[in-house]
Amino acid sequence: MTTTSRVAQTAPPAGRNTPTSASAKAQTFRSRNRIDPTYYWMIVPVLALFAFFITLPALVGVFFSLTNYAGYGDWKFIGLSNYVNIFKDPAVLQSYIFTLVFALTTTVVVNIVALAIALGLNAKITWRTGIRTVFFIPMVLSALIVSFVFNYLFSNTLPVLAERFGVTPLATSILANENLAWLAIVLVTVWQAAPGATIIYLAGLQSVPSEVYEAADLDGAGSFRQFLSLTLPLILGYLVINVILGFKGFLGTYEIIVGLTGGGPGMATQSVAMRIFSGFTGGDYSYQMANAVIYFLITLLISVIQLRLIQRRGVSL
Amino acid sequence: MNAALSGNAPIGRRALLKFAGLAGAAAILPLSGCGAAPSTQNGVTTLRFMQNKPEVVAYFNQVIKDFEALNPDIRVIQDFNEGNFVPGLVRNDPPDVVTRGFAQATADFVKKGIFADLSDMPVAATIDPEIQELISSWGQYNGNEVSALPFSLAAAGVIYNRDIFEARGVAVPTTWDEFVAACETFKAAGIAPIYGTYKDPWTLAQGMFDYVAGGSLDVAEFFSKLNGRGAAITADAPESFANNFGPALPKMLQLASFAQNGAASKNYADGNAAFAKGQAAMYLQGPWALSQLVAANKGIRLGSFPLPVTNNPEDTKARVNVDMALSITRNTPNMAAAQRFVNYLLEPSVVNTYNEKNAAFSPLKDAPAVENPQISGLGASVKEARYYQGAGTYFPPSVPLNNYVQSFVYSKNGEQFLAALDDEWRRVAERTAV
Repeated sequence: MTTTSRVAQTAPPAGRNTPTSASAKAQTFRSRNRIDPTYYWMIVPVLALFAFFITLPALVGVFFSLTNYAGYGDWKFIGLSNYVNIFKDPAVLQSYIFTLVFALTTTVVVNIVALAIALGLNAKITWRTGIRTVFFIPMVLSALIVSFVFNYLFSNTLPVLAERFGVTPLATSILANENLAWLAIVLVTVWQAAPGATIIYLAGLQSVPSEVYEAADLDGAGSFRQFLSLTLPLILGYLVINVILGFKGFLGTYEIIVGLTGGGPGMATQSVAMRIFSGFTGGDYSYQMANAVIYFLITLLISVIQLRLIQRRGVSL
Repeated sequence: MNAALSGNAPIGRRALLKFAGLAGAAAILPLSGCGAAPSTQNGVTTLRFMQNKPEVVAYFNQVIKDFEALNPDIRVIQDFNEGNFVPGLVRNDPPDVVTRGFAQATADFVKKGIFADLSDMPVAATIDPEIQELISSWGQYNGNEVSALPFSLAAAGVIYNRDIFEARGVAVPTTWDEFVAACETFKAAGIAPIYGTYKDPWTLAQGMFDYVAGGSLDVAEFFSKLNGRGAAITADAPESFANNFGPALPKMLQLASFAQNGAASKNYADGNAAFAKGQAAMYLQGPWALSQLVAANKGIRLGSFPLPVTNNPEDTKARVNVDMALSITRNTPNMAAAQRFVNYLLEPSVVNTYNEKNAAFSPLKDAPAVENPQISGLGASVKEARYYQGAGTYFPPSVPLNNYVQSFVYSKNGEQFLAALDDEWRRVAERTAV
């Protein structure tokens, strides 16, 4: 603990100084030797495509969030009233609460599961490569297909099994239960997202030199103590990356919910992304655009905070 | 790596340039394809006819062939991708003749003046005025225009399995008490009275919610009063949901309780398969389910009756929707040709044959009585104009009504349900009123 906190204290000045001096040096070096235009030719098309297909539509969306545009037909400027109305809409608020609780829970569970799997797969077990492959299969399957398969399992297979073995609480599908449906979504998301996190943890675990464990063995540390005092601090950077990438991804959760519950039962599992998308079909375009802008600002804020945390850890993406 | 890259730079640069050029050309090509093309060539006018039902494409292809044979100066192209409609409007290149289901969404297009006035067309006089009223009740452009002529009327009620009814000696109920008694009979015999598919919330809104609401109150009048209030609607206003829908709610819940166990985890597809296998006596679905049920079980004998919601058989009404309504876009350059095509579509031989084939009702005044045993039980209601358009269809699409209905069935909290509907309605009215 003391070592990590010392690292945390000393890292920022070092982290801030070295890159600037390095880049300054690089700049003087480059300005003397003309920059190869190939680099521009690599960047410019991507930049143009990005601006044309992402930045420009986003700005158009921001513009229309200040109007009463329904997606077609006449419209006029209505100022900020879409934004004011968003804050008065309990249905939108509920979707924000659901999405945040879902993203937090899923991030925690995904990381615990992925770390456990990574520790297991990193050990010298028989058929390690084969088992690793099996664990990574969920990652290459489409989330929508996975969720339709699970939908079938939850709705048909599980209730039949539960009825046969007399487990009455499970005899009706948990997808039909307003209080439990979100757990099913967490479960499927974890199943789908854990392999990606596992890969990153495996890379982290393989970077830990075996000498430290030998030293710990000599000092008489048990395996739990070794994990807590050696493994965890040494792979902390990987944990931070997993938490940040995962959390941001889970905030935009959409297709797994569509495949499992469609936002139901009732309004129980409506994520923010689903509400925003409903604006395209529901003639509510400008209103949901305002919602999208607010959500963008929130995710931007979260990303900035997380990037700060990353820099403090001395990890760069 | 750096050296390798700069060593390859000349080739890489040229290739990149080429790629960028190709990408640019690819991006521009589809754009230049837009814009209204001249639609008359060599004296032949080309019409675009948009319809939104993939299952009747073949029927309309035949209709178009017959029409073209009679009218060699007109060529009709069928477009069944409704997704093109709004983009067509944006590009100012919409199809000439359109047929859509007529409800909230199409009424919005009418309000924006997208469709031409058809009231002068002679065929307009052949249409049953009660059915035409279903369209004009959504609001008319300039207060008096006829923006759409009905082509097909779908009537929905309770689909029932004739074999199960006969085996238990149950007659088609004409009052609510008879209906409840019939359900109890089936229940006592170990048969699920109704097959519920609550996992698909639209089936709850379409069946339980619309049927009971339509049978117990005047839906069209309720919504016209509600719309009249605009954004000034509160839960205690006399026009609110809370003050009008209250008495209907217990019947909705009673209806929902007659479904089989585990209805919450069954969807529409499950329901069609199970009902076709005879796993329930009744099914709260419209004519769209009939072909699926027959496809799953060729031998099934089906019938339909309007759900009685009161104990006065005179009150019993069917839920209808204008499944197809013909419109001509206002600024089409081919108005005369488009009118000839619409006239042809509304000839009895075309429109009656279509509706006969698709378990629907013809909108013509002197249409023959429906003989299809699957829907003939609804014929009297349609003939006598004892029908309503589903309450759910009056909601703006931004209100997730289906989800609220589902939530109500699970929680059985009627007060919360109606308060939520009032709140949602007011919020949408507030932000669209600006």
